[in-house]
Amino acid sequence: MLDSAGKRRLSLVMAALAFCASSAVAETPNPERNAYFGETHLHTSWSPDAWLFGNKLTGPADAYKYARGETIKHPLGYDIKIDTPLDFMGVTDHSEYIGISKMANTPGSFASKLPQVQGLIMTDPNSKEQQQRAFLTMVSLFSQPPIKELMKPEVTGPIWKENISIADAANEPGKFTAFCSYEWTSQTANRNLHRNIFFRDCAKVPVAPYTALDSWHPEELWKWMDAQRKAGNELLAISHNANLSDGWMYPTDVDSMGRPIDAAWAESRMRNERLVEITQMKGQSETHPLLSPNDEFANYAILSVLLGLPATEGRINKLIGSYGRQALKDGLALQDVRGYNPYKFGFGAAADSHNSAAPYRQDNFFGGHAMEDGTAETRLSGHNFAGIDVRYESPAGLTGVWAEENTRASIWDAMHRKETFGVSGPHIKVRFFGGWGYDRDTLASEDWVKRSYQTGVPMGGDLPPLKGKSPSFVLWAIKDPTSGNLDRIQVVKGWTQNGQSFEKIYDVAWAGDRKPGKWTGRIPAIQSTVDIDEATYTNTVGAVELKTVWTDPDFDPSLHAFYYARVLEIPTPRWSTIQARQLGIAPPDVVPPTVQERAWSSPIWYTPDAKARKAAPQGMTVAELNKRGGVALDQASLEKLLVGKAIWLRNNVTGEQFKALYTKEGQSILQHIGSENEVPSLTGNVALAGYRGETTPYQITNGKLVTTLSQASLEITVYKLGDKYYAARSNEFGYANYEFLAKPPVFLNPLGKGETAGGGEDPHPGGA
Amino acid sequence: MSSPNPAQPAQLRQIPVMALSRWLREPLLHFLLLGAALFAAWNYFEPDLAPGAAATEIRLTPDDVLAMWTFFNSQWQRAPTAEEFGRMVENKVQEEVLYREAVAMGLDKDDTIVKRRMAQKLQFLAEDVAAAYEPGDAELEDWYAANADKFALPGRISFRQLYFSPDERGRQAYADAQAALATLTDQSVDTELAASFGDSFMLQNYYADRTPEQVAKEFGPVFAQAVFGAATGSWQGPVESGFGWHLVFVDSFVPGRQPAYAEVAPEVKTAWLAQQKVEAWRKAYDAMRAKYTVVLPVLPDSVDGLPAAPVASGDDQASQ
Repeated sequence: MLDSAGKRRLSLVMAALAFCASSAVAETPNPERNAYFGETHLHTSWSPDAWLFGNKLTGPADAYKYARGETIKHPLGYDIKIDTPLDFMGVTDHSEYIGISKMANTPGSFASKLPQVQGLIMTDPNSKEQQQRAFLTMVSLFSQPPIKELMKPEVTGPIWKENISIADAANEPGKFTAFCSYEWTSQTANRNLHRNIFFRDCAKVPVAPYTALDSWHPEELWKWMDAQRKAGNELLAISHNANLSDGWMYPTDVDSMGRPIDAAWAESRMRNERLVEITQMKGQSETHPLLSPNDEFANYAILSVLLGLPATEGRINKLIGSYGRQALKDGLALQDVRGYNPYKFGFGAAADSHNSAAPYRQDNFFGGHAMEDGTAETRLSGHNFAGIDVRYESPAGLTGVWAEENTRASIWDAMHRKETFGVSGPHIKVRFFGGWGYDRDTLASEDWVKRSYQTGVPMGGDLPPLKGKSPSFVLWAIKDPTSGNLDRIQVVKGWTQNGQSFEKIYDVAWAGDRKPGKWTGRIPAIQSTVDIDEATYTNTVGAVELKTVWTDPDFDPSLHAFYYARVLEIPTPRWSTIQARQLGIAPPDVVPPTVQERAWSSPIWYTPDAKARKAAPQGMTVAELNKRGGVALDQASLEKLLVGKAIWLRNNVTGEQFKALYTKEGQSILQHIGSENEVPSLTGNVALAGYRGETTPYQITNGKLVTTLSQASLEITVYKLGDKYYAARSNEFGYANYEFLAKPPVFLNPLGKGETAGGGEDPHPGGA
Repeated sequence: MSSPNPAQPAQLRQIPVMALSRWLREPLLHFLLLGAALFAAWNYFEPDLAPGAAATEIRLTPDDVLAMWTFFNSQWQRAPTAEEFGRMVENKVQEEVLYREAVAMGLDKDDTIVKRRMAQKLQFLAEDVAAAYEPGDAELEDWYAANADKFALPGRISFRQLYFSPDERGRQAYADAQAALATLTDQSVDTELAASFGDSFMLQNYYADRTPEQVAKEFGPVFAQAVFGAATGSWQGPVESGFGWHLVFVDSFVPGRQPAYAEVAPEVKTAWLAQQKVEAWRKAYDAMRAKYTVVLPVLPDSVDGLPAAPVASGDDQASQ
């Protein structure tokens, strides 16, 4: 196929592929926006923990080289190279030690020679008097025209300054964007509350970053960010590893200071925390099978530990409050009941590698913690460090943005408006638009992207005001040309009613001729081509491209809702399977042998207007119960009602009827709940437990029935109103949604088709 | 551990006078001088910590106070209140008190974190010294000539593509592409005939002025290699990408070239500086390392999985 000129050219090409230096041609901004993939979380030897892990070799400049496709050294000395070069990156070394100057701040330098400042010398800083004098000198000094020399940033942060100059050097508008960024590393009591801070413009960054040494409270970080913004220095925060936060990332009652969450707190959070990492090397933070029992793809990249917990200490990372999808659902409920939503964030994904470079592919996985996980032997022997068994690590994710051009401003603005998506490593591209007028023809037209922007909103946005019966969504995804084919696109929907929140997953586009289940609507699993022994797969199944226009078949205009797209690849071998084969050992059985790589779009939200909201079912609130003369049962009455009894309940939101049993020995169970039933948040997998007869302990304490869901205490208060009993769960925002049935239902699933049952009596009365 | 060799590093004694001016530009020398200056400054300006001074006196300098004040200002965009200022002072004092008490108790000794942190600071210091030197144009041009390959500009290509989708055609995609090629041979690129072949594709039909890296990002590296190897001015293929099969028509190809120094002077300086830092650190470390003799233990044969006698690095001898 190649002529000789072609061959000569080819060798030039190969040289060029190896070294892509600067070029003169800049892209023109694309109003329909391009997908750019970038890294928003990476440590180098400049992070003190990276240095401790053994990365003494490479700094931020090397990290940018790696991102652009150059070969660099792993901290253990071997060569590493990225599969597909990135479009943008922000190195995020821990700020807590960036402020410590590289060169010791030369004592007694320039300032002490200025006569104006002699009043500042404090010989006894413990003396309140001297403090006062110094303070007053300072006030007088600063009320004069500012002394320029004093405002120079020499006093702080040469490392931070160097960080910025390296980012500036790596930044090439139109080709590669390097951000000024750092990590705020709040880690009190092993709870991961970390945030990465991204500045829009490196010319305006502060002299030093705000660190977790200044305060570990996110609320204080937001205050500082607000102050920066006010001074014209735009910035945003991306939280990460909610999955390792011990339930502290997404509170619904009190903030990190123990103060009740309110509208001001929610606004402050959303002003600053625009995105979350939905996945990274230390696990995904989308959801957990216990929170999403109906999501058959939730059992993916789970890591639940407390980082740095001593190997002999008995604390377990809490799941509730640690996952993004639940936070999105709680956000809707808070919005509906209390009028504010602190959790209206978009999705990105990243590495959190400490090697100045990250592995993005299962077949090019070299760990993320220098000598702690730098060889296949170390990894597969399950090296146990800092609370992590490294077999559980995943390859790094990436953040995709839809932006007009590859510049700091354009990409940062896309992050700020949440027009972003996360991928688990491969460069899967996904488009997601929501509106009221999309139909099949939308995708058929050449200018479908333009039309989609014109008549709706992209990922990260709010649906325009209600117009028509049900919102429709344009979905499109294309595979990474160097990775697995696509299995399906799903829409994950969340909604809220009467303080309860729900989720449902719709398969909307899929590869091949699989048929949705007649009643479930679910698409069966795609055939796996993975040969686990050989650690191979083939692209003989799956699709290159998937697209559809989907209309919500269950839309209720009176209820708050969100929608996001999830794209799944076909199954491929996990890195641990590939490397086990290389070592000639069995793949580790603590993790699955295969994975389905994926992409997550940021959500699109629907907010009912006042008129639509009025049409929502009223529901019974605790306040209403009290007003009508309802009385909360005390300890004795509650024990009499429940202990050693079975009761029948109806969830008045869903209409579902079920049985709850409470043994004298303190065990409980819920029965007759189906696996396709829409269960409210924090119910757990009650369908499975009820079917299998697996019980949960309960207690009756202080007039409340207390059960737990994976360490989270859920309290139920029972009210008596006339001859009726109502129950309110503590996580349902003031609603009493459960009504006691006067007698057991004769038919649990009435068909309405003339069924009979011997006069409606229990065929097996007690003692039979 | 043995004591360090006295005085100068070995290299210094061998420097010919003629090379002195070059030597004066050596980052290593700057590093050593700076180290000495820092040491002197520290002794001069920190009398409180010198032996004999009251170990219990904490004296804040104007710089300390100013630094706190300026820092607060930059962080919060306002001056601290008297109360906030008092708290900053107290924090500073607390840090100093705890630091001194800890040092007095010897807590800094044999602490891995302290050791590694100080080692890291030393590396930063060595690299900083390299950054302080301003290279001249001639020096940079020489360096550019020796490292030209790092700055080669990639070739650029403009091409049209017809896509044969495995989603639409399954295993027929390749055969269909071949059949289309037979029909299109000798046809011009603008023919409507070409447009009648191929499947619609959400990526573009025409790509103008792309580098190999850009094509590889979009279609995968295999496709990029093939397209950059294809003849211009006629339909070629079928070419495989990560998406399926394609026919390509390359309009134009601009080969890669070596830019003139002036075109890339800023990038050259950045790259030069990066290399200087690496070099400065390597030399500084080598010089420091040369002062030490390392004595490694000889392990008993019975320890499984370890070599009987460890291998020492450099010129050191394993001794007993």
